[in-house]
Amino acid sequence: MSDRSSSPTEHLVRAVALRKAFGGIVALKSANLAVRAGTIHALVGENGAGKSTALGAIAGRLRVDSGSIFVGGTETTGISPRAAQSLGVAAIYQELTILPKMSACANVFLGQEAVRGGFLERSVMFDRYRALCQRVGVSIPPGVKAGDLSVADQQMLEIMRALASGARIILFDEPTSSLVNAERETLFRIMRELRTSGVTMVLVSHNLNEVLSISDDITVFRNGESTQTGPTSQWTRDALLAAMLGKAAPDLLASHRASDPVDAQAQPLIRVDDLHVPGILQGVSIQAHRGEILGVAGLVGSGRTTLLRAIAGLEPSARGSLVVDGVVGRWPTTARQSRRLGIALIPEDRKGQGLLMHMSSRENIGISNLARYSRAGFVRRSKMKREIRDVAQEFELDPSRLEQPVRNLSGGNQQKVLLARWHLAQPEVLLADEPTRGIDVGAKAAILTSLRASAAAGATVIVVSSELDELTVLADRVVVLAGGRLVEEFVAGGTGVRADLMLSAAFSE
Amino acid sequence: MNVETGAAGDAASTPPAPQTRSATSRVRGVAQVALRYGMIWALIILLVVARLVYPTFLSIDNLRNVMSQNAPVAIIAVGMTLVIICGGFDLSVGSIYGLGAVTFATVSSHASPTIALLVTLLVGCLAGLVNALIITQLKVNPFVATLATSSGFLGLAYMASNNNPVNLAPGFDTLGLGQLGGIPISGLIAIGVLVGGGVALSRTILGQNIYAVGGSAEAARLAGLRVQLVRGSTYLIVGTLSGLAGAIDCSKLGVAQADTGQDLPLVAITVVILGGTALLGGEGAMWRTVIGLLIVATLTNLFDSLAINTSVQLVVQCAVLVTAVSFDHLVRSASVASRKS
Repeated sequence: MSDRSSSPTEHLVRAVALRKAFGGIVALKSANLAVRAGTIHALVGENGAGKSTALGAIAGRLRVDSGSIFVGGTETTGISPRAAQSLGVAAIYQELTILPKMSACANVFLGQEAVRGGFLERSVMFDRYRALCQRVGVSIPPGVKAGDLSVADQQMLEIMRALASGARIILFDEPTSSLVNAERETLFRIMRELRTSGVTMVLVSHNLNEVLSISDDITVFRNGESTQTGPTSQWTRDALLAAMLGKAAPDLLASHRASDPVDAQAQPLIRVDDLHVPGILQGVSIQAHRGEILGVAGLVGSGRTTLLRAIAGLEPSARGSLVVDGVVGRWPTTARQSRRLGIALIPEDRKGQGLLMHMSSRENIGISNLARYSRAGFVRRSKMKREIRDVAQEFELDPSRLEQPVRNLSGGNQQKVLLARWHLAQPEVLLADEPTRGIDVGAKAAILTSLRASAAAGATVIVVSSELDELTVLADRVVVLAGGRLVEEFVAGGTGVRADLMLSAAFSE
Repeated sequence: MNVETGAAGDAASTPPAPQTRSATSRVRGVAQVALRYGMIWALIILLVVARLVYPTFLSIDNLRNVMSQNAPVAIIAVGMTLVIICGGFDLSVGSIYGLGAVTFATVSSHASPTIALLVTLLVGCLAGLVNALIITQLKVNPFVATLATSSGFLGLAYMASNNNPVNLAPGFDTLGLGQLGGIPISGLIAIGVLVGGGVALSRTILGQNIYAVGGSAEAARLAGLRVQLVRGSTYLIVGTLSGLAGAIDCSKLGVAQADTGQDLPLVAITVVILGGTALLGGEGAMWRTVIGLLIVATLTNLFDSLAINTSVQLVVQCAVLVTAVSFDHLVRSASVASRKS
C-alpha cells in the first residue's frame, strides 16, 4: 500500500483511505492510490472490488463518504465533473457518455465549443475535429449521428473529447470490454502515444494480459480495498490472480453440495441449445438435471445475465431451442410464456426488477401465487396468510415484520422474500442472478441453503455469481462464459470446481 | 428560414441511414423519410384543402389576420420548444401570459409604452425564474412545479387586476395593431423570435447544451455541463416570451384579463410536438415548431372562416394532438427497429 511518498510532485493523482457506500452496500472500504505522473496505472480486481467506484470518485462523478483525493497537490475531494475537467481530469466510462442524437462533432466539443461573438464556429470545430481524428487515427464523418456509430467509434469520440479538453489525466473504465482485437490495438497505440506526450492514465481492466503489457504500475483491489500495489515488472498473471482472489474461502461457507450425485444419464430437465442473443450470446448450449445446481461464472459483460434473462423470456431477440421436461417449444419471448414453462427468475436488481418495494413482505411473497388462493378472481386471504406465514418461517423471516413494506428490510431479508415467493410457487427451473450480492455473510449462508433446498425438492437451479468461492461450495457443476460463449465446464468431484481455474477460464478470452 | 441545420439533434441533417443493397431495407428507408417529414406532407395537404374550400385563404387581408392572430402562440411556442428539447415541460405559460397582459395594462396608465413593455418582460422573466428555481433547486418535477405555479401566477394576475378587466391607456396599440410596410408588427416580432430562437438553438453553446441536457442529463453532467443552469435558463426564456405575448395581446385588444391565456399551454405544446419535436427531449428543431404552428394556424383559420363553432374546434384539437403523439411514437419505434436490424 503506497502512502510511501508524501511528495505531491512525484504522484500526480493520490487517493487516501477512500470510503463509499451505496445505500447499505459498501463499495469502497479503504482504497489508496498513488499514480506517478506520465504513467499508465492499472487497477485490477474481481467484479465489485471497487475499482470503478474509485475511478468515479477521482473523476468527480460521485462523492466519497470519507477519505481524500489530490490531483497535482491540490485536494479535489468531492469536486464536480466540471471542476475535475478544468483541472485536466477526463474520464471515459464503461457506459459511454455519448449523446446518441447529437452529431459526432457536437459530442466531441460538448462543453468546450468554439465560439465567436456568442455563435458556434462550425468551421473551426470541423478543422479541430479532423486534426483530432488524424491524431487518433480514425475517420468518422463529423456530421454523423453518434448513435449510429459502433461502440468503438463512440469510444474514440470520448477520447477525442478528452484530448480536445487538453486533459493531462485520463481515466479509462474498462475501455476494451466491448472492442474487438484490432480496435484494442488501436486504443493501446493511442494510449502509448499519449503517455509519450506526457499524459497520465488510470486504466481499469479485466484483461490481465493487456494490463501486464501496457501498464507501468498495478494496484489490486479486493472487497473495496486496495490490497497490493507495485510496478508492473514485478507482477505475473498468476500473482495478480492470487492477489485478486485473496485467501481461501471463509469457513462460513460450508459445503451446500448435493449429498447424492446427479444421474448424468437421466434426461435433463432443461436443455438450451445454440442460444443466440444478437451482440451478446453466440451459440450457448447448456443442460441441467432435476436436483442439480448449475453455476454460471464469467466476467461482467460475458453474457451471464443475458443467458438467464433469455431463459426467463426477457430477451425478445433470443434465438435457440429450449427443452423443458422433454417438451420442445418455441423460445419464450415474454416472461409469461417462460413462467408457463415453470421457469422463475430472481433478478440481480432485486429492488428494481424483483420486489414491489412499497408493498409488504406478505404481498410480495403472495403476488406470484395469487391464483392458488383465488376462487372466481377473489383472493382467499386467510389461506394465503397461513401458507405465507409457514413459508416465511422456513426462510427465517420474522413473522412480525411480514406486514411491513419490504423497502425497510435489509438486502438479505429482501432476497429471502424473493426466495420465499418462488419457493411457494414451486418452479421447475429457478434462475438466480447474483443471489448474494450485497448481502452479509450470515444471510448468505441462509440463501445458499434455501437454493439447495429448492434443488433437493426436485427443481433445477441455475445460479450466476461473481463470488467464485460461493460457486465452489454450492454448484454441482459450473459453466464459464467468456465473450458470449461457453469456454469451460467444471464438474464437482472430477477436476473439481476451483475458484482459480474458473477465474483463469473467465479471463481466457 | 435558415435555422434548420441543427448540427445537434436534428434528424434531417443526417443522411437516412447507410444505403444497403437489399430492396426491403431501401423501402424501409423511403418509409422512414416519409415518416420523418410526415408533418410537412400534412401541412401541404392542409394548405391545398384550405385554398380549395376557402378561396380568399391566400388573400393579403387573411394572411395579415392569420399572422396577428397567431403571433402570441408563436412566441410562446419558441420558448416551449427550448423547454421541451431540454427535457422539461411548462404548464404555467398561460398564467404568465395573463400576468403579462395585466402588467402591461396596469403600467400603461403610468408610463410610456417602452417602459410598460420592459416591465412586462421583467415580470415574465421573474415568473420564469420562480419556475426555474422550483425545478432546479427544489427538484420538483417540471410538470408538477408548473402546474402549481400556473394557479399561483393566475392568482397574482387576479389580485393585480382586482378580478376586473384592466383597460389599456390610449396610444399603446402599436404592438398589437401596428403595421410596418403592410405587415403586422406583432407578426414581425413573432418571426424575429422564431428566427432568433432557431439560431440560438442551432448556433450557440446554449442551444448545444439544451440538446445535450435533454438527451441525457447525466451524460451532460459528466461532460462538465452546468445542467441546472441550462435547464433553468429555458424556463426563464419561456417566461419572458410569455410575458411578451401577453403584452402583445393586451395591446391588440385594448384590455387585459387575467385568465385570457388558460388554453395557451396546451396550444403551445401541441404546436411543438406537432412539428415532430420529441416529448422526451434531446431531439427536435425550431423549423419543426414552424411547421406545427402553420398547421394549427391554418386549421384555426379554416374553422373560423367556415364558421365552425368552438366546441367542434376543441374536439378537433384533441384529435390532432393524439394523432401527433401516437405518430411521434410510431416514428420512434420504427427508427429503433431499423437500427436493430
